[in-house]
Amino acid sequence: MQSKSIYKIPGGKLLKIYLEFDENKNLIKNISIMGDFFAYPEEAIEIIEKELKNTILEKKILFEKIFSIINKENFEFIGLTAEGLTEGILRCLN
Amino acid sequence: MFKLKEKWRLLITENNNAFRNMAIDKAVLKSNSEKKVPPTVRFYTWTPPAISIGYFQSLEEEVDLSVCRDFGVDYVRRITGGGAVFHDKELTYSIVIPESHNQIPKKIIDSYERICGAVIKGLKHLGIDSKYAPINDIISNGKKISGNAQTRKEKTVLQHGTVLMDVDVEKMFSLLKVPNEKIKDKLIKDVKQRVTSVKDSLKKDIAFSKAAESMKHGFEKEFNVDLIKDNLTDYELELTDKFERQFFSTKEWNHKR
Repeated sequence: MQSKSIYKIPGGKLLKIYLEFDENKNLIKNISIMGDFFAYPEEAIEIIEKELKNTILEKKILFEKIFSIINKENFEFIGLTAEGLTEGILRCLN
Repeated sequence: MFKLKEKWRLLITENNNAFRNMAIDKAVLKSNSEKKVPPTVRFYTWTPPAISIGYFQSLEEEVDLSVCRDFGVDYVRRITGGGAVFHDKELTYSIVIPESHNQIPKKIIDSYERICGAVIKGLKHLGIDSKYAPINDIISNGKKISGNAQTRKEKTVLQHGTVLMDVDVEKMFSLLKVPNEKIKDKLIKDVKQRVTSVKDSLKKDIAFSKAAESMKHGFEKEFNVDLIKDNLTDYELELTDKFERQFFSTKEWNHKR
């Protein structure tokens, strides 16, 4: 199934998610993270998109995965947060 | 101890198209990262007018491509994040400088503010009071007059940004897509209230050359340097041609999201 969301990050930028997911297994098949935020380095977003494939669409699991990638790789965001990204993804399910 | 003022390079490149403008910024970033040129400030314009989108934006979500074609407006994806910008009557600046330079704060958000400080001093020289508005705007009288975007690659900072000389909000919104067409009229009204320009502020037209002179003054004052007018090097011209051809003018690059 495919879905989109638009979410204004509190105190940040406008996040747009395009999500392809497996409804039965509740898994991410493909994700595009778009918007007018900043990421350092820019490749961070492509790495996160890749790492999120086959991740279960559940708040705690998503947040911890995103948070740990950011920390491990020392990524820096401006106008985007791990919380906001998690929320944007989950809004695709509504 | 007395220390000579540092000399940085100043480039003034008017009337390039969108692809070439973005290629020049990337070329200067590369040549500065290889220590081939000093820190560089560039002032430029866009011919024809163009939309640039942020690195993470979807071209087709943000831009009405058929209206762009009708108006003869180009579109290009930037290497910097941030939002979609309609570059028409504006002065655009870029600065390229090593991350390790003592004038550049280590924290990215602080370096936005520092570089915006140069634009604010330039506006002041033109007679316009303005201030930094986080994350990446400069406002005058509570209205946006400049938007800015920064990337860091190969330990080098590139920040580019706009100084609006005049603004046509209706035309801008005919080129940009809005999430909800029903509220477009209200959105245009809101944005008109929230955006200003040099012309709006001073109630007269200012020539690009005069604005560039004031911005030069602003950068020199903010960073305590002399800006020496020069040209792109042969190496940078070669890179520019290559980046224009391989990235910025291609469908693969511009439609990648």
